[in-house]
Amino acid sequence: MNHKEMEKKLRREARALLEQGKVGYIIGFEAGSLKFTTTPLITSDTGDISRLVVNPFIANNLSVYLAGVKGRVGIVVKGCDSRSIVSLLQDNKIAREDIVILGVPCSGLIDLGKVEELVGKERDELDDIARDGDRVVVTDNGNNSEFPIHEVLYDNCLGCEFPTPQEYDILLGEPTLPAGDRYQAVSLMKIKQLKDMPAQQRWEFWRNEFDRCIRCYACRNICPACFCQRCFVEESEPQWLLPVPRWQDNLMFQVIRNIHVAGRCTDCGGCERACPVNIPLRSLTREMYGIIAELFHYKPGMDKDTAPFLAAYEATDTEDFVR
Amino acid sequence: MIPATEKVKINKKDVAKLLGEWSGEFTVLVPSRDEGVVKWARWDGEDASFLDWYRNTIVPPKAIFLPPMEEMFGFQKDKASYRIELPVSSERKQLIFGIRPCDAKALAILDMNFSDAYEDPYYLAKRKRGVLIGLGCANPYDSCFCTSLDSSPNDATNVDVMLTDIGDEFLVEVITNQGRELVAKTSLVQVAAETDEVRAEEAKEAAYGRVARKIDTGSIKEKLLSCFEDKDYWEEVAAKCISCGICTFLCPTCYCFDISDELVKNQGERFRSWDSCAFPLYTKMPMENPRQQKWRRLRQKVCHKYGFYPINFEVIACTGCGRCIRLCPVNWDITQILGNLPTKEQLTPEKC
Repeated sequence: MNHKEMEKKLRREARALLEQGKVGYIIGFEAGSLKFTTTPLITSDTGDISRLVVNPFIANNLSVYLAGVKGRVGIVVKGCDSRSIVSLLQDNKIAREDIVILGVPCSGLIDLGKVEELVGKERDELDDIARDGDRVVVTDNGNNSEFPIHEVLYDNCLGCEFPTPQEYDILLGEPTLPAGDRYQAVSLMKIKQLKDMPAQQRWEFWRNEFDRCIRCYACRNICPACFCQRCFVEESEPQWLLPVPRWQDNLMFQVIRNIHVAGRCTDCGGCERACPVNIPLRSLTREMYGIIAELFHYKPGMDKDTAPFLAAYEATDTEDFVR
Repeated sequence: MIPATEKVKINKKDVAKLLGEWSGEFTVLVPSRDEGVVKWARWDGEDASFLDWYRNTIVPPKAIFLPPMEEMFGFQKDKASYRIELPVSSERKQLIFGIRPCDAKALAILDMNFSDAYEDPYYLAKRKRGVLIGLGCANPYDSCFCTSLDSSPNDATNVDVMLTDIGDEFLVEVITNQGRELVAKTSLVQVAAETDEVRAEEAKEAAYGRVARKIDTGSIKEKLLSCFEDKDYWEEVAAKCISCGICTFLCPTCYCFDISDELVKNQGERFRSWDSCAFPLYTKMPMENPRQQKWRRLRQKVCHKYGFYPINFEVIACTGCGRCIRLCPVNWDITQILGNLPTKEQLTPEKC
C-alpha cells in the first residue's frame, strides 16, 4: 500500500477515533513549514485531521510525547517507534489501554543530508524528492536524478529489522518485509570504520566529534528512552558533570546516556537526526544495541509482557553476581 | 591608494590574497566546514573556496564573542583566602570575514544587553577587538525572514565593510572609519565603475525578493502581551516542543549563560557557559525556575524576543536568520506562532 492510501486510511481511522470519543488526542505528522519536512501534529480537533500525512519524511519518534499528553491518545508509529512504545510499557511509563496505536508499515525514511551530499545542493534548493520503489528521484531545476535507496535512506532504516510495528491496534497498510541482510553492511559502515581504527585514532575521532557538542540536549530530549524526570547531568548535589561543553564532559554525558538507554534504544536514529552539529550518535547507540543482542540475546521493545532488560535476570546466568 | 569616498570592487580571485594581507594584523575568521557543520574558524591560509558553498553558519558568530564556554578566572585557596587569577586574554584583533547582515545585526542587539546597566568585560573586550566584513546574501534559505525585521540580505548597518556579489567580483562598500582604513591599506581593490554599482543594486533587489518568509511585526508586542496569560494557547503551541537548547543556543541574539565552578583540591576555575530558558534547570542555582511547565518556558522565549526586549531596548531581539526554524528537530516554527497569535476576541477565559 502506498503512502497516499495509508494517509487516507489514517485520516479515516483518526477521525473515527476522535468522533467516537475513543481517544482525546491524536499524535501524528503534518507537513512541516520547510520543504521535505514533517512536524508533529498533536490535536483533539477533528478539523485538523485532514492535515495528517504519511510520507518518507515522517522522521520523529512520536512516542516521546506520550507521557506529556493526558487521557487516551491515538498515535502514529513506524516499526522502531512502536518498539519504543513497547519499551515504555515494559517500564510502566504508560498504560496500554490509554493508547490506540496507528501503525505505519515503514519502507524507510529519506536522509536529506545524504541527498544534499549527492546532488551538491541544500534541501531548500531542490524542487522535489520522491520515493519510487527501490529508487529515490530528486528533481533539481527540472532535471531528474535517480538514486538507489541504499544511497539515500537513513543508515538505521537500511538496517531495520522490524519495519512493521510490533504492537498496534490499527495497521495502516500491508506489513513491510524487512530487507534482511541486504543493506546491513551500508547500515553499519560507519561503525565498522570506527571499529577498524586503531584505538588512538578512534579516541581522536570522538574527541573531535564531541568538541563540537554544544550540550543542547536535543539528543536526550528527542529520545523516548530518556524519560528520567531529572537527568543525572542536571543533578547539582552531587554534580556529576559540569554544564560546561568541554569535549571530555560532552563525551562522558553521551557515554552515560548511552548506558542509560541500553535495552530501551530501538535504533530509531532520532538522536543523530536531532543533533545540530552532526555528531554520529547512532554509532554509539547501535553498537550498544548490537552488544545487547549478542551478549544477552535481547532486542528492545519486542514484548510488552517481559521485564525490562536492565531489571531482569535469570538464575541460570553464568555471571555469579546476579544470583 | 583609492580615495576613501569612492566605491571599489575586488575580484573574487583576489579574496584569498586579501585575507592573507589581513592575517598579518588580524586573526582572520571565515566560514569553515567541520564534518559538514559550518562554523567560524581561523582561516587556513589556503584559499577562499568557502565562497562557493557558504550560505550561513550553523553556529552563529555570537559564539566568537560569547563562547559556548569560557574561563572567567582561576582561583587558588591560600590558607584563609582565595587568590584570583584572571585569564590571559589576547590583544590581537579578530576579523570576521563574510558575516551575514542578520548576524551582524544580532551583535548590535547583544551589545545593548552587555553594555546596559552592567558592562560585561568579557564580551565587550572581544567586541572591541572585532572587525566585521559583511557579505550580502545572494541565496537566502527558505527559513530566512530578515526582511520582516527592518533588515535585508544586504543590510550594511552593522558591519565595517560590506561586500555584494556582482558576478566575478564583489562591490566593496566602506561603512565605518575602521573599514575605511582597512580598504585604504590594500592595493587589491579597484575603483568600481557605474555599471558595477548598477549590478550591485540589481543583485540586492533580487536577493531581497528571494526572502519569501514574511511575518507582520507591526503590533506584535501588543498582541503578545495581550495573549500572555492565555494558558490554553501557549499549551497548545508548546505541545510539540521538546525543550532542548537548539533554538536558544544557536540563536544569534540569545545570551543567557550559567556560571559554574570546578574545584580540584585547592584550586579551580570559574566558567560561564551558554544556558537556555528552555531548560527546566534554568535559574535553579540562585532560586527556583519559576517556569516549571514547558509552555511557560516557551512563552518566555517568544515574549523575551518580541515583547520584553522591545520594551527594554526598542528593538525586537530576532533578526530573522531562521536558524531556530531550520535546526529545530521538530520543526517548531516561530513565524507560524507569531502569525497566528489569538486576537482579543479569540482569547480563552481561563487564565494561568
